[in-house]
Amino acid sequence: MIILHAGFQEKHLLLWGETAPAEPETKSKTARSAKKAADAKPPRLIYDVGVEGLLAALAEFLSGLQLDKSDFEDVAVWLPTVEGQALASNVLIAGPIESKSLPVLSPWRVTALPLATVEAIELLSLCVDKQMLSPGVVVGWDLAYWAAAMRFAGALTARQQFLPSVVKEDGGYHARWQPVFIGQDAERFQKLARAMPHICRAMTAAHDEEQAPPDTAAASVLSDFVAVIVDHLARVDREREQKAKRSSSNLGDTLHDHWLQALPTMKSELSGKESELEQLAAQGRDWRRPIEITTSTAFRLSFRLEEPEESKEELAPSPRRPIPASQNGWHVRYLLQATDDPSLLIPVADAWNAKGKQAAILKRPNFNAREYLLSSLGQAASVSPFIEQSLKSAAPAGYDLDAAGAFEFLQEKAWLLEQSGFNVMLPAWWTRKGTKLRLTARANVKSPKFQGGGGLSLNEIIKFDYQVALGDEVLSLKELEALAKLKMPLIKIRGQWVQLSAEEIQTAIEFWKKKATGKATVRELVHMSLGAGKAVKGIAFDGVSADGWIGDMLARLDGRLAFRELEPMEKFNGTLRPYQTRGYSWLGFLREIGFGACLADDMGLGKTVQTLALIQRDWQASDAKNRRPVLLVCPMSVMGNWQKEAARFTPDLPVMIHHGLTRAKGAAFKKEAAKNALVVSSYALLHRDLAILDGVNWQGVILDEAQNIKNAETKQSKAARSIKSDYRIALTGTPVENNVGDLWSIMEFLNPGFLGNQAEFKRNFFLPIQTQRDPQATAQLKRLTTPFVLRRLKTDKAIINDLPDKMEMKVFCNLTKEQASLYAAVAEDAGKSLEEADGMQRRGLVLATLIKLKQVCNHPTQFLKDNSKIPGRSGKLARLTEMLEEVLSAGERALVFTQFTEMGEIIQRHLQENFGQEVLFLHGGVTKKNRDRMVERFQKDISGSPPIFLLSLKAGGTGLNLTAANHVFHFDRWWNPAVENQATDRAFRIGQQRNVQVHKFLCAGTLEEKIDEMIERKSEIASSIVGTGEGWLTELSTKELKNLFALRADAVGE
Amino acid sequence: MGRYGRYGDDDDRYGYGYYRKKIKATGGIKAQSKRGSFGETWWGKRWVGTLESFDIGERLTRGRSYARSGQVLSIDIAKGEIKSKVQGSFPQPYKITIKLKEIDSAGWRKLTKALASQAIFAAKLMAGEMPQEIEQAFKDNSLSLFPEKLRDLETDCSCPDWSNPCKHIAAVYYLIGEEFDRDPFLLFKLRGLSREELIEAVGKAGGAAVQAAEPIPEILLPPEPLAVDAASFWQGGALPENLFGEVRTPPVNAALPKRLGNFPFWRGEENFSDAMNKLYERASAKGLEVF
Repeated sequence: MIILHAGFQEKHLLLWGETAPAEPETKSKTARSAKKAADAKPPRLIYDVGVEGLLAALAEFLSGLQLDKSDFEDVAVWLPTVEGQALASNVLIAGPIESKSLPVLSPWRVTALPLATVEAIELLSLCVDKQMLSPGVVVGWDLAYWAAAMRFAGALTARQQFLPSVVKEDGGYHARWQPVFIGQDAERFQKLARAMPHICRAMTAAHDEEQAPPDTAAASVLSDFVAVIVDHLARVDREREQKAKRSSSNLGDTLHDHWLQALPTMKSELSGKESELEQLAAQGRDWRRPIEITTSTAFRLSFRLEEPEESKEELAPSPRRPIPASQNGWHVRYLLQATDDPSLLIPVADAWNAKGKQAAILKRPNFNAREYLLSSLGQAASVSPFIEQSLKSAAPAGYDLDAAGAFEFLQEKAWLLEQSGFNVMLPAWWTRKGTKLRLTARANVKSPKFQGGGGLSLNEIIKFDYQVALGDEVLSLKELEALAKLKMPLIKIRGQWVQLSAEEIQTAIEFWKKKATGKATVRELVHMSLGAGKAVKGIAFDGVSADGWIGDMLARLDGRLAFRELEPMEKFNGTLRPYQTRGYSWLGFLREIGFGACLADDMGLGKTVQTLALIQRDWQASDAKNRRPVLLVCPMSVMGNWQKEAARFTPDLPVMIHHGLTRAKGAAFKKEAAKNALVVSSYALLHRDLAILDGVNWQGVILDEAQNIKNAETKQSKAARSIKSDYRIALTGTPVENNVGDLWSIMEFLNPGFLGNQAEFKRNFFLPIQTQRDPQATAQLKRLTTPFVLRRLKTDKAIINDLPDKMEMKVFCNLTKEQASLYAAVAEDAGKSLEEADGMQRRGLVLATLIKLKQVCNHPTQFLKDNSKIPGRSGKLARLTEMLEEVLSAGERALVFTQFTEMGEIIQRHLQENFGQEVLFLHGGVTKKNRDRMVERFQKDISGSPPIFLLSLKAGGTGLNLTAANHVFHFDRWWNPAVENQATDRAFRIGQQRNVQVHKFLCAGTLEEKIDEMIERKSEIASSIVGTGEGWLTELSTKELKNLFALRADAVGE
Repeated sequence: MGRYGRYGDDDDRYGYGYYRKKIKATGGIKAQSKRGSFGETWWGKRWVGTLESFDIGERLTRGRSYARSGQVLSIDIAKGEIKSKVQGSFPQPYKITIKLKEIDSAGWRKLTKALASQAIFAAKLMAGEMPQEIEQAFKDNSLSLFPEKLRDLETDCSCPDWSNPCKHIAAVYYLIGEEFDRDPFLLFKLRGLSREELIEAVGKAGGAAVQAAEPIPEILLPPEPLAVDAASFWQGGALPENLFGEVRTPPVNAALPKRLGNFPFWRGEENFSDAMNKLYERASAKGLEVF
């Protein structure tokens, strides 16, 4: 585990890292090197990753770079230090140091890699919005901060907010591009500087001498950093660089020429006489002055458009008729707005000759109100003749205008003023995006008589006509003509100002006259009603109003009307909770009208059950010869679970598992599949076996953990989209709707074409939402997808009442091939020995075998004790990681119990490397004091608290109160329900506000499943015979034991 | 020869009929005006008009070509006086002085009072524009902003030409006209009032207590000692919302340099504004990539 950090010094980003100090077995070595380190000045940080560590952490990133030791250098970082020990940034590196004294800053020597700007940009781009650079490499908060600052610089460059200059640096003169922070950018810069972690500016050179800790202001460090990035990005002219190399004959040879040639290339230094260079620098400053004077000031000139005061006449009730507003009475007021407190507004009228309190407020360093106002107004005057006119008084404070002027201001001037760096304040009705009233066209659909029989067809073509509306009001031709006569751009209707241009009204009138009609399929109508309609003959499309069955269907889709709840089925072995009935009915409703559905309920709400209920219903509803199978695709880690759940809830349904080397192929598969209700297969096979999978006449295709196809380009995504079936369902526990980029692929699977093709989607939604946070695009996308995504949270009021306080679920996992062969070997070995053993020896052998098999089920590394690699070798650990990811993404907390300390260590290491977050681990070796601290930290309701708490069953099974968790995982089983329940109750105690979910992990086809079945069968064992141990198992006969140990064929998941 | 016309502008011509080749200067100030007359703005034109009212014949044409080809090596502008060096046919450049009659303090007092009555004067000047109405304000006080008569102007050149103004003086005069286009304040400076004094005077006359505008100093921020609490030290604050604004390539390239106008006394071969346009457009694309 390495945490990457970066400081910024002398125009370079310097990368360094922390890692936990070496293992105890190399103690003597570390002691020696620690001694050596202590001799150096400043002493070497014990957590320093060193050259090798940095190289390893950056292996992927650095692949194109040739680095050797000489590229690294030692620097000093000043860290909070207690009793001569530096504090680590994160408990993943080292725990806190207990001490009564307060931390002080001390310098520590670390190995750092200085990055050239181009490398820094490349690395930071990889760190954007990421917690982990790669497994085991955490992006430190400071590195993440630099990544955000780099994007800020990129945005400035893209918007061309920079100017050329000549700057004196280290004795030489350089051609530089300087960022310019105008208006809002200045505010953004200040806010960003305030957010800088102090570690970002805690680096100095590693000197022997005593020095003071760095104290450069965050704003100066950030300003240097942004300047370096902007300067680098603006040097882009490779062509010119080459041309300059080829010949300099016709490029001129003056200082100005040199400057212009140096600006776009990487060679920034200018040569020449010092006096001339200084003169050029001064000329540049002189030239930039008019802009600099208006930037980085304490106040900003603002323009506020003020509406006329309401007159009585306008307030008179008149439901429909738009009222002409009085022409005059609008006003633009000039104000000074403080950049550090945008709510502080001083009318310019008071600022010209400010006295008393106002003069005191305006008195800021480097700010001269009069000079600033004069130069700002002088610039603004070129934007609007009204502003120019207003300057013909000694102390201008604003100007009056009429409705046409106000309209022009809203439409054009406000934007121009904003572009020039001024602030503009407009009435709320104008700035509220998306709710602006305008003339729209609406499709008015009369449903044809419903032809009963085999369901409705989405492809039926429907004729309709258009209406013109303003907001909710449908306008007649007469009314439009009346509006046209007003000849006013701003019209007040029902107390609200509405902008209507003459052309717009004219277009609407033409529209009416032509009696616009259209036709579309029902599917297209649904699409149109959800906001995907295109403008009709120049008028924006607003929506569909329909009567009859189409109206009903549209209303059900967007939730205005409830859909029909389906009856519970006879042969379903279990009871659906009310919300599950709703979920399953919803799936049924969408399928019936021909749309794909995504059930995205929170983990534990029973997506599996709801899906099985639907399949069961279909199976029951059709007679034997019409029955067709459903294909369910899921990750390997949950295949066992589906099989078990189907066996439990729908024992009636024939289920086929399609995986493994012995799986059916070709015609045999087709024949076999046709006999089953459900065929379960994996994502890996979806692509590999596509040819045979696509040969089956599927009734439905269901994707579980559908986030697996979030990347549209992968082979499995393409395969999923290509398989033909009557209906499609996607199941996922992660909130897909939150990630715009992932949405297209899943929606394209469910409802092809609905969000446009991939390029259209990128243009219409992804880019506007991701880069501009366009609220209109966001709202439109939401409208288009909401009807097809059902996501309920455990915390929803309606759900909470349906849920029991405690839900127990078994999670069936598969073994990896490696686990299976180890398992078989142990079982065979034990089988032989059992024949010969008896008495105490036999008891011991049975218990030892039980433990060995449990270890194999947990993880090969635990069994082999060889400290080998962790990922990819255990089915249980893979499943645990997936499920915890969902827990974390929902912001919830979990307890994980295991009975083995060694396994706890493996899980802790694996989870920390995967999530880059601390995982608490309470085991027998933890002191009482530390244990109390862990509990306290876990229970604390703040965002930084560690969300996962790992406990050994013995140390954590009793006495603790851990109600912050609402998930309990039993990674391995203690074959004694009483002990398990006691552990579960850590989370389920007085004070628990939420429902608790208990996930019991079992490896399918192994002794874990079999013992579980035994306990379930003979519930009496639990209370009477079992006692508190697992000893009861030793009483079984040898035959029973051999059965117990035997590995069933379905155990392996690959 | 074609570039300089058929009159042999490469030559210096002396009063007594002796010709000598002009020495081609390198790295001189180059006029941005490529052909025709000088002065883009009304005030620049007015300044040039004064020169052109003198009857000095061919010297005007040659002065223009000197200004365009970079023969003027330097121009220093001080209150009431311009000093310049121009490369002629002698190895040693000629020294030129142009003196303007300064307006006396009584005159300035009257004027600033008039200027302070309307914010537009100072505001436009600071935004780089000479307000048209300003001439009237001068006239009302029986003063003039532009040198109008011969006695307003005193010119001298170390060249042997008997004519004054000579083509060297004309060249300098044209270049200053271009500089006025960019910075109208210069004209006030030449008449004896600096930018800072003007703003201060306008402020005073307007009745406000305003200190003289100082050049914007580089803002030195006070030191900020590092904190030792774990949250500020390692984690920092939350990043501001809407950190990037609306990120897109602006509809017009190089808007900032356009707002500032041409670079003062530009000597480069390539046209400054054309060069900026290209560089900004490419930089913008690069910024988008990183964002």
